[in-house]
Amino acid sequence: MSVTLLKTHPLMPNGQVGRDVPRLESMAKVTGREDYTHNLRLPGMLHAKIVRSTVAHGRILSIHTEEAAAVPGVHSVVTCADIRTIIPEPYFGPAFHDQPILADGKVRYVGEAVCVVLSHDPHIADAAAQLVLVDYEELPAVYDEVEAATSNVYVHETLKPAGTFPDLKHLEGKRDTNVALDYRLIRGDAEAAFAQAAHVFEHDFTTQQVMHTPFEPMISVGEPTSTGLTIYTASQSPSFVRIEMARLLKWPENRIRVKTSHLGGGFGAKLYIKLEALAAALALYTGRPVRVALTMEEQFYTITKHATTFRIKSGVDTDGKVIARRCDVWWNGGAYADIGPRVTQKSGFTAAGPYDIDNVYLESVAVYTNRPPAGALRGFGIPQLVWAYESHTDLIARGIGMDPVEFRRKNILRDGRPHATGTVMKDAAIPEVLERTAERIGWDKAFDRGTGTIRRGRGIAIGFKASISPTTSVAIVNVSADGSVTLYSSTVDMGQGSDTAMAQIVAEVLNVPTEGVCVVRPDTDVTPYDMATLGSRSTFHMGNAVRLAAEDAKKKLDDLAAELGLPERSNIPVDQLFKKRYGMQAGNVIGIGSFIPTYKSPDHDTGLSDNVTPFWMIGATAVEIEVDTETGHVTVTRMVNVCDVGTPLNPKVVETQISGAAVMQYGFTMSEKMELDAGQVTNASLADYKIPSILDIPPLMESEAVVATQHSGPFGAKGVGESATFGVSPAIANAIEDAVGVRITSLPITPEAVYRAMRAAANQPLEDF
Amino acid sequence: MIPFQLAEPASFAEAVRLIDPEDPTCRAVSGGTAMMLMMKSGVFQPSKLVSLRKVEPEYAAFTVSSDGALQAGALVRLGQLERSEAVRAAFPVLADTFPVLSNVRVRNVATVGGNLAHADPHMDLPPVLMALGAHITATGPSGSRTIALTELFRGYYETALEPGELISGLSVPAQAGRRSAYVKCTTRSAHDWPALGVAVSLAVTGGTIQDARIVLSAAVETPTRMTDAEAALKGAPIGEEAFRAAGEAAAKAAEVTSDVRGSAPYKTQLVRVNVVRALRKALAAEGAV
Repeated sequence: MSVTLLKTHPLMPNGQVGRDVPRLESMAKVTGREDYTHNLRLPGMLHAKIVRSTVAHGRILSIHTEEAAAVPGVHSVVTCADIRTIIPEPYFGPAFHDQPILADGKVRYVGEAVCVVLSHDPHIADAAAQLVLVDYEELPAVYDEVEAATSNVYVHETLKPAGTFPDLKHLEGKRDTNVALDYRLIRGDAEAAFAQAAHVFEHDFTTQQVMHTPFEPMISVGEPTSTGLTIYTASQSPSFVRIEMARLLKWPENRIRVKTSHLGGGFGAKLYIKLEALAAALALYTGRPVRVALTMEEQFYTITKHATTFRIKSGVDTDGKVIARRCDVWWNGGAYADIGPRVTQKSGFTAAGPYDIDNVYLESVAVYTNRPPAGALRGFGIPQLVWAYESHTDLIARGIGMDPVEFRRKNILRDGRPHATGTVMKDAAIPEVLERTAERIGWDKAFDRGTGTIRRGRGIAIGFKASISPTTSVAIVNVSADGSVTLYSSTVDMGQGSDTAMAQIVAEVLNVPTEGVCVVRPDTDVTPYDMATLGSRSTFHMGNAVRLAAEDAKKKLDDLAAELGLPERSNIPVDQLFKKRYGMQAGNVIGIGSFIPTYKSPDHDTGLSDNVTPFWMIGATAVEIEVDTETGHVTVTRMVNVCDVGTPLNPKVVETQISGAAVMQYGFTMSEKMELDAGQVTNASLADYKIPSILDIPPLMESEAVVATQHSGPFGAKGVGESATFGVSPAIANAIEDAVGVRITSLPITPEAVYRAMRAAANQPLEDF
Repeated sequence: MIPFQLAEPASFAEAVRLIDPEDPTCRAVSGGTAMMLMMKSGVFQPSKLVSLRKVEPEYAAFTVSSDGALQAGALVRLGQLERSEAVRAAFPVLADTFPVLSNVRVRNVATVGGNLAHADPHMDLPPVLMALGAHITATGPSGSRTIALTELFRGYYETALEPGELISGLSVPAQAGRRSAYVKCTTRSAHDWPALGVAVSLAVTGGTIQDARIVLSAAVETPTRMTDAEAALKGAPIGEEAFRAAGEAAAKAAEVTSDVRGSAPYKTQLVRVNVVRALRKALAAEGAV
């Protein structure tokens, strides 16, 4: 595999931002010295093993814990009734307070946590957990998102939105529905425009439920302390965990301390609150430290990526201009809302694509079903949307006989033009990304289309994403008396390289080497508030806060020099400054930065807003593929990923984020799928759920960040981690049609799906089973 | 994991004696690569494991005779065979198969005997050894006997071994110029279990196929010889026409099952295509491609 970044990007004056700084933690990681939460052992610690539901929807009639409790070495068996003695209202969640810490009289999916066995020995807890018997009265269940939207099988009795989101307030107490959020956008008059269109196209697309598969499975350890509670957790959002635990316990925030280490991957799985509430409640219930650590297999029952159905309809005029588009998107949220309603709205409003369309009608609904819950996964819903609108875009181009790139070029959304929400595009290099992608793949050049049983094709796709808004980041920069610099930030480095990037910003401002900046691990007693490490928001939000904090420190150093009567721009070393001021090596200079962008919430009735996001992320993919016409096997021989990430802070890290995101989405495109049978995941292990290996990755992978500036970002930068996921799936489907003339509309694109489509096209359909 | 007894006898005979044929929770373990997974997932909970790692060293040794026959003890690691020049020269198809049957860490631990006794139909080595005409030695309380690989596999994780009987050795005859090949066909990722495995072994003289062995695995319940397809090749001139006839015959005869790697009709198509490809691969040197 070769990975190349074509463009060279500017180095800032002090040589820190824009430099390929090797990741600060890489030596500790490759030598096995890195400290992960999994390594933590506390004196007297108990291990928890979760007993999980075996039915998709049912009332719990009884839980027989006696046999398990009698196993020598078992400390206790804990049910929801016990949790209530600590937390009387044990329901949590970022958007809805709908998820019980342990099942509360009812289960809503196979794998839901019903009770917990505790022991000093994890093997004893594991064995005893198998002795717990639960009697259920099974209830009818609903699994499909479209069916659930109108089904009379209800997953929840009433909707319980959290108070934090004003736009969910109207759902409070609503009964007899599985729709957790209905977002609508109305721009112009789509119906009238359809009536005038020369061509109207309508297609349905679906995506499958998949899992994040972080190689460090989820883990949280709760520890009672003299002042309250400490939670050690592999979390992407320590600040949120603290606030949510304070709400559940009705404690002030400062009695709860949340600490994270480096994470072995997150991808959205470890967001908001997951195992922390259980670990905390068990610790307070037993008065001992309690470790809740999942196996790889259990992660399939914890959080997933939404399966979706997307019906998309477009009206095109005689010149190939799209004049109207209607989008209906159903998001399969599973049994608990998690952040699904946010995905539905914040990603939903981009469902009409990066195109300049005057008339748009869009509905995006979050639907409860009896499946494992769905939340955020690298792209926050955008890859599901791009899959549909970029497959649709290609079908239109073919339908009207126009080149797919030319058709996109004609309709592309340019800076200065309003997006469907009404927000005027700014610093969004959509046309540039499209052009560079087409140029690098050689779209206008001759192409070998293959012979015999190997047919070759090319495809291209482009997508975009808004940033979750409005969110806050706070940072502290501490300059010690010897001039050494420490950064306190609650951004979680889960492998994306944020520690290095943030250190580079500090180093650039203070003109010190990045390698010498110490970045403190998130610890809510020590590091200030950050909304969460999600949605590619950290570079922009925390990056701005860190820059402000470093600038504040720099100003204070300058003030100190002035106070000591030193001439402006004197280059006296920082340690001498402190020595002059305090008479010895003593003191600190503390710089503080706090950042929240401006934002306007979409209007409830029209979904419109003139300031819907602080920045846009853009990503495009082009591929060359081979199809084996005898088996349907698709081989991607070359993949080009081009993104607008603003100005890269660290080009090397940008390159690995682009290729990493593309490879992850490649797995979701080609092989990954949670197989469900009556709500039961039948392939919940890495032996049966297949992520791509190094042998599956395209032999030629190229990454590029276009020359661009996000003027409101730190040193022109913005988010990186998700953009290369956007175009991968539809680019491959578009290339398949280019190669063999069949259209795949459901993910994953298995060899069998392609082969069946080819047989159907040849009027010789393969029998079903 | 529930506690269990672990015995590490110093002789194979002692190991056989320590296994209680009446107790299915008492099992032998060698490399442990499959056993540990079953124990971790709770599928298998042993009361007693009899480890073979400390038995006589000859069970972990192998020889290749001057004419190219292999004699291997049951505890020979897959990686040992993979790195042996003599094995690679005598059985090029094995050299070609080892890299795709697991990762290198597993190959350095997993043993020949364990691999065959496990009898998971998705494994890659059994169909290849079956095509090569191998047999195993089974040793039990009443002595040793020889079982041809064609007779060893009886069903899903089921073998012809009697309770209390262990595989003690493997022998693969000299190939005397036979041409062999293995095709592993996956449908999800390169490191997935195969949707289909096809192993072929052919005796050819001039441009004619004198004798063929064709074994399917993974798509069928046990590794299975495709006798109709073999008959279609016998006496046929090397070429696409014969290959396609064999592919059709195999597709017609194979009792293919549906699973997450593909539906039965689709996997039947994979049989049709991959039998042809395996034959082409085996006879590439004869100018058949």
